[in-house]
Amino acid sequence: MADNKDMVKIDALEKYFGEDKDRVHVLKGVSLHIPEGSLYTFLGPSGCGKTTTLRCVAGLERPDGGRISIDGQAVFASGERVYVPTNKRPIGMVFQSYAIWPHMTVAENVAYPLTIQRRPKDEIRRRVGEVLKIVGLDGLEDRPAPKLSGGQQQRVAFARALVNEPKVMLLDEPLSNLDAKLRVAMRSEIKSLQRRTNITTIFVTHDQAEALAISDQIAVMHGGKLIEVGSPHQLYSRPTRRFTATFLGLTNLIDGKVLDLGNNGNLGKIETKKGVLNFVPAPSLKKDQRAVISIRPENIPVYKEKPKGVDNILEGTVNEAVFMGDAYHCKIAVGEDLLAVHIHPFFNVNPGDKLFLHLDPQSCNGLPADDTEGVDESMLGD
Amino acid sequence: MRRFNSQTLILIGATLFVLYLAGVPLIMLLYGSIRSAPIGEPGATYTIQNFVKAYFDREFYVLFLNSLYFGIGTCVLTFLIGTFLAWVSERTNTPFKKLFVVMALIPFIIPGILATISWILLLSPKIGLINLAVKEILGLEASPFNIYTMWGMIWAESIHLYPLVFLLMSAAFRNMDTSLEEAALVAGSSTFTTFSRVTLPLMRPAMFSVLLVIFIRGIEAFEVPALIGVPAKISVFTTKIFLAIHQFPSDFGLAGAYAVTLLVISTTGVLIYGRITRREERYATVTGKGYRPRVIDLGSWKYLTCAISFFIFFLAVILPVFILLWSSFIPYYGVPSRELIAKMTIGNYVYILNYPLAMTAFKNSFYLSVGSATLVMLLTSVIAWITVKTKLPGRALLDNMTFIPIAMPGIVLGVSLIWVYLTLPIPIYGTIWVLLLAYITKFMPYGIRAASASMIQINKELEEASLTAGGTWLQTFTKVILPLLMPGFTAGWIYISIIALRELSTSILLYSYNSTVLSIMAFDLWEGGQYTYVCALGVLMVLLLVAMAFTARKLGAKIGIAE
Repeated sequence: MADNKDMVKIDALEKYFGEDKDRVHVLKGVSLHIPEGSLYTFLGPSGCGKTTTLRCVAGLERPDGGRISIDGQAVFASGERVYVPTNKRPIGMVFQSYAIWPHMTVAENVAYPLTIQRRPKDEIRRRVGEVLKIVGLDGLEDRPAPKLSGGQQQRVAFARALVNEPKVMLLDEPLSNLDAKLRVAMRSEIKSLQRRTNITTIFVTHDQAEALAISDQIAVMHGGKLIEVGSPHQLYSRPTRRFTATFLGLTNLIDGKVLDLGNNGNLGKIETKKGVLNFVPAPSLKKDQRAVISIRPENIPVYKEKPKGVDNILEGTVNEAVFMGDAYHCKIAVGEDLLAVHIHPFFNVNPGDKLFLHLDPQSCNGLPADDTEGVDESMLGD
Repeated sequence: MRRFNSQTLILIGATLFVLYLAGVPLIMLLYGSIRSAPIGEPGATYTIQNFVKAYFDREFYVLFLNSLYFGIGTCVLTFLIGTFLAWVSERTNTPFKKLFVVMALIPFIIPGILATISWILLLSPKIGLINLAVKEILGLEASPFNIYTMWGMIWAESIHLYPLVFLLMSAAFRNMDTSLEEAALVAGSSTFTTFSRVTLPLMRPAMFSVLLVIFIRGIEAFEVPALIGVPAKISVFTTKIFLAIHQFPSDFGLAGAYAVTLLVISTTGVLIYGRITRREERYATVTGKGYRPRVIDLGSWKYLTCAISFFIFFLAVILPVFILLWSSFIPYYGVPSRELIAKMTIGNYVYILNYPLAMTAFKNSFYLSVGSATLVMLLTSVIAWITVKTKLPGRALLDNMTFIPIAMPGIVLGVSLIWVYLTLPIPIYGTIWVLLLAYITKFMPYGIRAASASMIQINKELEEASLTAGGTWLQTFTKVILPLLMPGFTAGWIYISIIALRELSTSILLYSYNSTVLSIMAFDLWEGGQYTYVCALGVLMVLLLVAMAFTARKLGAKIGIAE
C-alpha cells in the first residue's frame, strides 16, 4: 500500500439487465479505485449493484459501458471494444455458494486452476499442499467434496482461489451461508489471510458489522450508485451522506436549517426544533440549506442535573430503558421526538426519569437533508 | 376422538388400496406364469413349462435382440434430439428459443398411435408422402425410405418420445448451480475446458438416468412395434405378448413367461435408475441465490441452431399434423393433388360421429381419463402426505409400493390384470371398471411424483395452524393442504388425463365391446385399413385433449393459488 498504486480501477461502469420494456438500470456510472494490497468492501442493501459490480470485475457480467482495468491492464473498455474473458483475468473468486465441484476431491478442486495450465505434477502437489495449509485444511486432500461441512467448503473455495496467486481476490458474500458463530470466526480468518498474502481483495457484503470489522476501505453503494468511500472509522464517525449514516450502525436524525458553516476549527450552527445546535458540517453543505444532524446513540452523555457552561444540551424524559449488559438502550422523549441513547450501566436509569442530554458537537454530523434516496426511515433508532 | 378416526380411516384405506393396486397384479403375474392353465380351469398344476417354451424357442433370442436394438436406438436418437433442443433453449442465445420450449412439448399431446400412423403415411414405401415427393423430385425409381424396418421403427418412436428427454435435460441444465461453471472460468479454463471438465461430469448422472428412462420406455413401447413391427415381421417382447394372447386359443402361460422376462428387464432398469438418482442427490450442493443460467453467445452459429430446431419441429409436429389433417378430409387415401383437393370432404368426421361405437368410445375415454386422473391425484396426495409429513413406520415402503407400477410395461400390467380378475371373485373383468383400476395402477407413479414434490414445499406449520385453529384432519387436508397442493395437483392431473386418454397397451388386453376406448377404436380402424377414418378420429381426439388440458389449467388456477 506504500506506493499507493491502484490495483483495480473501475470507471463510469454502466450495466442494464433485461431487454426492452423490462430493462433495469442496475449500475449507474460506478467509479472506484482499489489500492493494491487492500481489503476493499462493497457494502449495500440487496439490489444496490455490489454483486453486479464484482461480477463485472470477474468478467462474469459484461458491462454496457465504462472501463475496468486490473493492474494497469484494461480488461473491459467500452470505447476501445476491449473485453478480456473471465478465464484470462488474473483473479481468484470465492462464490456465495462456494461452488465446490462435487465430482472432485478437495485436492482436485484446489489443484484445478493449475491442472488446466498443465503445470508439472510436483509443483501442483507442492502448491496445493501449501494453500491447504494456509487455510488450515492440510490432511483433507482426498476427502470427496460433498463430504465437507459448510466451513470446510469455504476454506476449499479460498484455497482454490489462492492457488494460482491471483492479483485480485473476489469474495461474493462468502460468509452469508455460515451460521452466526462460524461467521465471526471466518471473518477474522479472512482478514488475517489477506494480511498474510497481501493480495488485493474485494469483499461483497450487505452486513454492515461484517464490513466494519474486516475492511481497509468500504464503498457504500445504493440503487446502482456509489454513495461514499472511506475507512470504516471515517464512514462510521464522520459520514458525509445521509444514507451512509443510517445504513452503518444506529443513528438519530434531527432536521434543521444551516445558520453558519463555521470555519477553521470553529463549529457550525444549525437551527432545529430543539433550538440552535453546534455541529460539524459535511463539506457539501451550504448556508441556509436544509440539513439533518446525525448523532450516534453512544455519543450522547446524559446528566441528572443540567451541566453548566456547555452547549448542545437537551432536556428529555426516559420513555424506555432496555438493559443490554454493556449498556442501557434507551428511548428518550425530547419534545415530540424519541432519541435513541446508549447509557453506561453504572448510570441507573428508569422510565420516567428526567435527564439532560449532551449532544457532543464533535459527534453531530450535519448532512444534506434531501439526500434521502431510498432510505428506509423505519431503521432509525430501532 | 372423531378427528383421530377420520384420519386413521383415510390413511389406512389409502394404504391398503395402494397395496392392492400395486401388489396383487405382481403376485398374480408371477403365480400365473408358473401355472399350466388359467386359474379356475380344472387340472391346472405348477409348471416351468411356460418358461421352457419361451426360452427354448429360437425366436426368443431374435426377440431379445430386437427389443435391445429398438431400445438402444431409440435411446440414442431421442437423446441427441432432446438434449440438443434443451441445450439450445436453456444455454444459448439462439433466436426464438422460448418458442422452442412450447414447440418441443407439442408432440406430447399427440397420442402415440396417431404419431405412428402419421409416420407410416409419410414413410411407407408404397403410399408414404415423403417417399413419393422425393421420388418425384429426384426422379428415383425406388422409394428412398422404408418405415417397415428397424430404423423406421426407431425413427417413429424417437420423434415422438424426444419431448421427455427435452424436459429432463432442460431441468438438468437449469438445476445446475452455474457458479460451478463460473468458478472454472475464474480458475482460468476456457469455455470448452469448462464444458468437458465441469459441466459434463456434473451432468453425467443426469444424462445416464435419462438414457435409462428412455431405454425402458423403448422396450415397453407398444404402438410402434404393433403397427410397424408386426407387418415388418420385426417382433419385440411387447408384440410377442400381445400376439400370444390374441391368438386362438390364447396362451396365457406363455404370455406370462414373456411378461415376467420383460418385467425383470425393466425392473433392473428402474433399480439402476433409482441408484443413480440417489447418487445425484448426494451431488446436490448448497446453492446460493439463483443467478440466471449462463447463456453462451453462439455468434452467427445461432442461426444454424435456430434452423436445426425449426427443422426438428417441422419433422416432429408440422408434417405429422399435416398428414393427419389432410387424410381426415379426403374421401380415400392419396397424396395431395389438385384432383383430391377438389374432393375434400367432412365425410370422415360425419362417419366417425355416426359410427355406433364412437360415442361409447368417446364417453368411455373421457370418463376414464377424468376419473383416473382425479382418483390418482387424490390417492397420491394422501400417500404423499403420509410419506412426506408423518414419521409413520413403513412410509418408505409405501412410497416404493406406489412406484412399483413404473417398472411394469403396459402390456405386462394388462397380462397381470387378466390373471387377477380371472382369479379373484370380483366380477369386473371385461367392464370399464377393470380399465379404471388398470389406469389408476399405471399412473400412480406419475401422481405420487407430482404430489410429493409439491407436498415437500408446504411448510408443516401451515397445517399445524389449521389444527390449532380447531380444524379436523380432514378439514385441514381439504381446506389447507389440497389448495396449497393445487399447482402440483393440476400439473399431475393434466399429465395423467392426457396419457390416460391415449393409453393403448394395457387397454388392448382388457377391453370388451362395451368398454372400448378411443385408442382401441383407432387401432381397430387402422387394422381394418380405414386410414381416412382413423385420421378423422385422431383429429377429434387431439381436440378433446387440448380442450381438457386448457380447462384443467383454468380450473386449477381458480381453485388453488395461481402458478
